[in-house]
Amino acid sequence: MSEATADAGSGESTLGNTDGRLLIAGGVVGAFALLFVVGTLFPDSTVGTLSYLLLQPGPWSSMLTLAVPITLAAVGGIFAEKSGVINIGLEGLLIISAFTAIFAADTTGSLWVGFGAAILASVLLALVFAVVCIEFRADQIIAGLAIWLIALGFAPFAARIVYGSPNTVSLTNSVPAVRHAGIPVVSPVFQTLSTTNALGPAQALFRASPSVYLMFGVVALGWYLLNRTNFGMWVRASGENPKALDTSGVNVHRVRYAAVLLSGVFAGMGGAALSYNIGQFTGSGQTMVNGKGFIAIVAYLFGNYNPVGAMLSTFLFTLLEAIQNPLQTAGIGVPSDLIGTLPYIGVIVVLALVGRTRIPEAAGDHYETGEDR
Amino acid sequence: MTTAVHLDGITKRFPGVVANDDVDLAVERGTVHALLGENGAGKTTLMNVLYGLYSAEEGRVVVDEVERHFDTPRDAIDAGVGMIHQHFMLVDPMTVAENVTLGSEPRKWFGLAVDRDRARSGVDDLCDRYGFDVDPDDRIEDVSVGVQQRVEILKALYRGADVLILDEPTAVLTPQEVEGLFEVFEELTDQGKTIIFITHKLGEAMHAADDITVLRDGVNVGSVPAAETTREQLAELMVGREVLLEVEKSPADPGPEVFAADDIVVRDDRDVEVVSNVSFAVRQGEVLGIAGVDGNGQSQLVETLTGLRQPTAGGVSLDGVDVTDHSRRRRIEDGMAYIPEDRHEQGLVMDFDLVENGLLGSQHTPPYANRGRVSWNRAQTHAEDIIEEYDVRPPNAEARAGSLSGGNQQKFIVGREFARDPRFVVAMHPTRGVDIGSTEFIHEQLLGLRDAGAGVLLVSSQLDEVRGLSDRLAVMHDGEFMAVVDPTDVTEEEIGLLMAGERPDRFPEEGEPEPSTAATDGGER
Repeated sequence: MSEATADAGSGESTLGNTDGRLLIAGGVVGAFALLFVVGTLFPDSTVGTLSYLLLQPGPWSSMLTLAVPITLAAVGGIFAEKSGVINIGLEGLLIISAFTAIFAADTTGSLWVGFGAAILASVLLALVFAVVCIEFRADQIIAGLAIWLIALGFAPFAARIVYGSPNTVSLTNSVPAVRHAGIPVVSPVFQTLSTTNALGPAQALFRASPSVYLMFGVVALGWYLLNRTNFGMWVRASGENPKALDTSGVNVHRVRYAAVLLSGVFAGMGGAALSYNIGQFTGSGQTMVNGKGFIAIVAYLFGNYNPVGAMLSTFLFTLLEAIQNPLQTAGIGVPSDLIGTLPYIGVIVVLALVGRTRIPEAAGDHYETGEDR
Repeated sequence: MTTAVHLDGITKRFPGVVANDDVDLAVERGTVHALLGENGAGKTTLMNVLYGLYSAEEGRVVVDEVERHFDTPRDAIDAGVGMIHQHFMLVDPMTVAENVTLGSEPRKWFGLAVDRDRARSGVDDLCDRYGFDVDPDDRIEDVSVGVQQRVEILKALYRGADVLILDEPTAVLTPQEVEGLFEVFEELTDQGKTIIFITHKLGEAMHAADDITVLRDGVNVGSVPAAETTREQLAELMVGREVLLEVEKSPADPGPEVFAADDIVVRDDRDVEVVSNVSFAVRQGEVLGIAGVDGNGQSQLVETLTGLRQPTAGGVSLDGVDVTDHSRRRRIEDGMAYIPEDRHEQGLVMDFDLVENGLLGSQHTPPYANRGRVSWNRAQTHAEDIIEEYDVRPPNAEARAGSLSGGNQQKFIVGREFARDPRFVVAMHPTRGVDIGSTEFIHEQLLGLRDAGAGVLLVSSQLDEVRGLSDRLAVMHDGEFMAVVDPTDVTEEEIGLLMAGERPDRFPEEGEPEPSTAATDGGER
């Protein structure tokens, strides 16, 4: 570990990044291997129980479902921050879209309308954030916190007005898993694969709700947009050296607006997926979003602004969460509060020690054409 | 020959200033034209008008014999005018090809993807055509400043520029890279491109340009073919009075040793040894110069002498007292002044006003501070004294340091450091990026301090400067002193060889030059 850390520090920065992260990935795989070996040797020990549970599709299924809102928000956050606008308001976007999805779906009876309304609400709030940050040059961190606090106050308030309590009603209809959706050919195939014991935990992949596949799609799309299209190049240039982009004849403000609004689109999908999964919006305390937007920021930093990396980091966090309930059922108590802090401890370790995350040079800075030089 | 660019009677006003006053400029196609002038003479403003960043109040811009109206740089680019700014406009983590094509990316699949192969081959073609050695897949952060400048030139060429404007292109380059740049100029003009470059260095204008236009206070004071003028004539045009290009100084009258470095070894931040067993002594009333190409250990050596970096071996002494472990603060109190190499990073706090900047380094000592309480009245008077004595303009102690021109910032730093009444001064690149008038003034001040009995260590990569000011001259290469020579008794070629790490026959290798022996050498004059 120390040897690799030294390598990462002295070598080329990009290489160091890759090395450090591959090391973490390797470490995780190694830990699982060790777990299963020890678990097989001592089936009655705690490790044995854990490895037995991890061979079931259940925890993996939960891991995927729990990861959806976080990953979607993270991909959105990547676009905003890569363009130079740190969107710390992701949490707020998740809250507002989670509420709007239930409200609109409940009112109209259509899950599709709810989905669209959630995205719209999230984009509108992101637009407020964008205008305040880009046009009026507000501090991005403070404006982002304001977005969170506005949503945190507004969503339960609206729920109280409409439903008389900070929690909404439960939806009567829900999004069926693909295997139950009755799609010709696809559904039967998924049904078969999801019950094929030979696949082991991979059965989870075929039990998932459509939102999980949406997440995979958005991650792939996000990666492609960022790395293969001219829009992606402009986003990256805008966050690193906006002056370079401006002198090349591209409007920096427009690129930043587009990136922040895109973060609103993805976070809106995440919020809708979250509340459709639960079927209800609960608005007491931190609401049911409960820090997922902040974990999303941690996830994309952990994943070094790579959508795929952000998704894998999210899996790491949500698997820890997913394994808690079955462990408790099996009689092994895990302090969930402590588990909840692991992502944050992890990100500090990663940011400080292993292959430092490369934060965009101009992230957090305002840009105005013709100012200074 | 045809005229590629003709600026006719350009007048550009800013609130309170006329930056360009009825300026004419004609540039022939396929030539290199130098725009020469001191800082603030209006060179960059004029070129920004040509590039569409500013629009002029009066005058015509004619490119390719057609009158043009450029509202934005985009218009200028479309008319074949490209500009390479002093601070590069490059995205560090992106590749050369991505930077060159940024904003004009070739696309494929109905615009859904950037055609990276075509971008790469486009850059390769340009490199072949103009003889650039640049790999399109290299990341900007991994290549040298010289290559980054090539990338900027490629960017302009890729967008179809026929006229290239370069703003102070040599300011960031090493002497070798400057030579390389001038070769690029030749290659470009051979193929019909036209080059306008802004500079305040006479030698460069004479060396690289076909024609030279001199601006002073926003007015064109003369356009001449480089072959028909002299450095003295150009200097006089620039400054408006006769300038002493050669420093006149009286012979040194050295006293006892004031500062000594004994066999010091220094490692840089990456733990590479960059200064190897360097020893020297500076006596009262003399200037010891250190010449060398930038990056041969001078920065780390100076940081070690001034207390910003610890040597891994050896020590330094001030007035015979070992100060190796003394803090920077204690060294200042003991009479060591320091003009750092980078006035933005190390010399001044740009967002502070001159009162606060004048206090830096004295903020904890009487009469400016008393038990933690700063006397702002005294600090104000102090700053005003410096401003008056060192002719800092504008003469306003409340001005933000960042609002001053480079020359005036530097004069203020020199004033602040000399006001400590130092026994020993370390001056690194004291006139880098400073106009001729201020340079002359700073040189006089350094020599004045020497004559008053202080020891001066001068580090500079400008040969004229170290040769002219030093009483003894050390040449540094790859962390070692190649030789300590008498600057009046050595040719420029010999110094150049020493700087390049070669040893002319008459400078035999001195194992460990005894500081005292070296001192006597210089003392003969």
